[in-house]
Amino acid sequence: MKRLAVIAAALLCLAPQIVLAQLNVSIAVFDPGVPEDNALHRDLQVFPKIREIESMFLPFVLRQTLVDSGDWGAVRVVPQADTASELLITGTIVHSDGETLAVELRAVDARGHEWTNQTYTTQSDFNDLYAGFIDDLRTARDGFDDRTLRNIVGTSLMRYSAELAPDAFDGYIEMQPDGTVKLLRLPAEGDPMLARIQRIRSVEYVMTDAIDQKFRELHQEVDSVYEIWRKYRRWYTNFKAEEAQRNEFSKTNADSGTYEAIKQSYDNYRMDRLAAQEQDKWAVGFNNEMEPIIEKMEERIAEMNGWVEDGYVEWARILEELFEIESGLD
Amino acid sequence: MPADFSGSWERDYSRGEDVQGALNTLFRQRSQQVQRQQQYPSSPHMGSAQRGISAREGNALLALARLVEEITRPDVLQISQDEFEIRVARKDDFAMSCSFFEGVAQGTNSPYGTEVCSWDGNSLVSYLVLPDGLQISHRFTMSRDGAYLRVITTATSGATRTPFTLHRYYIKFEAPASAFNCIETLSMKRVCSTGEIKP
Repeated sequence: MKRLAVIAAALLCLAPQIVLAQLNVSIAVFDPGVPEDNALHRDLQVFPKIREIESMFLPFVLRQTLVDSGDWGAVRVVPQADTASELLITGTIVHSDGETLAVELRAVDARGHEWTNQTYTTQSDFNDLYAGFIDDLRTARDGFDDRTLRNIVGTSLMRYSAELAPDAFDGYIEMQPDGTVKLLRLPAEGDPMLARIQRIRSVEYVMTDAIDQKFRELHQEVDSVYEIWRKYRRWYTNFKAEEAQRNEFSKTNADSGTYEAIKQSYDNYRMDRLAAQEQDKWAVGFNNEMEPIIEKMEERIAEMNGWVEDGYVEWARILEELFEIESGLD
Repeated sequence: MPADFSGSWERDYSRGEDVQGALNTLFRQRSQQVQRQQQYPSSPHMGSAQRGISAREGNALLALARLVEEITRPDVLQISQDEFEIRVARKDDFAMSCSFFEGVAQGTNSPYGTEVCSWDGNSLVSYLVLPDGLQISHRFTMSRDGAYLRVITTATSGATRTPFTLHRYYIKFEAPASAFNCIETLSMKRVCSTGEIKP
């Protein structure tokens, strides 16, 4: 047994060291789930601008829950989905009315294997919503042995490398017909190209962490106001239910066409519209309060993304040139 | 949009009708029709429906008149309009709202009624359909010079075939500029400042 372990260790040393601690997780900003048909917004009670804020706010809450669980490596909120992530979480807001929150969550690892894809719903706080999802992630991960987890980490690194220096790294992975990615091999330890890639990735992580910090700041700024919004939305939902009940019980016995009868008809509609318009006012208030914060954050993120993208182009060019020099190609 | 109603409008008491006057006119017209029918029973324009007003119908008309009087009571209409929506804000009542998506008017549905709107030439017409056959329509028409707004409100109910109609006139006025700039917020409600205030 001991001999086998020594052989295994020796074999592992041939490959670059992939230290298996915990998988890093990237959570992309959610899809706000706003129907394209504007005409549906009112009927579905969708407030597009608020959904946009929720799409940036809710991933951060998930991030915190994942970090608090202690089961994962670095957990970052990122503006766009990155398929080279070790584990990528994407989400779409299906329903949000203050009382019920439903989010479709999907987790896919770097190999393109789906861990979970379903809609999670809560009627209390967000922790409840994410608890089920995190359980599903944990169950999926516990089903993998160390070798598979190492494979995920390796595939992630090779996908990232192949994006940056395709000539050097395309041969390490293979796209499968079902859309998954197969890791064929890993570069040898000490491979200079890989060392450069790892340095670049570290720099990119620094930027990603800075972007993640922006989402943290947004969360801090939005949290209390968002809670008020949810409280109002709960009030409105309860009001509608109570109103329907009250109208059912207080139906007038007055003859059709009498003042009492038509007045009640009009007043029922009037109260319903007034409540809906009050809710619209809250939505405007929420937007007014959040808009400067969101704008500032988006500007900053765009700036940081710009740096990364510019750097990416430059790094790719340099790596390509170095690869040509080192591999002796013209 | 065929017309721009946006602005502040206040009731012109020198024009238009009061409810009592409109009711008197209605009852007088009906009684004249009945008289004519009795004089010329074979007239093609007058069917058997043209009878006098029964007590039940009379009560139903009075009820409609009372409701229309209440609905049209606000002295000031604040109308805001952009390419997607016209909104008529009235004190103590909901704002009538007419939304257009890709040029198509969008109604408002609720368990208590349906509100639809449309353009009829340069007039904006809003219909509210409520249970028990109650229907209320408002027709907004602006004078050519844009100084006057005429609102014709018509109500019908299942208890009478005769609609009750009331004409109101409004004059455009410039609402005095506030010394403060205000915005609505969620956590601090209305926030005002003497300086520029950005959302």
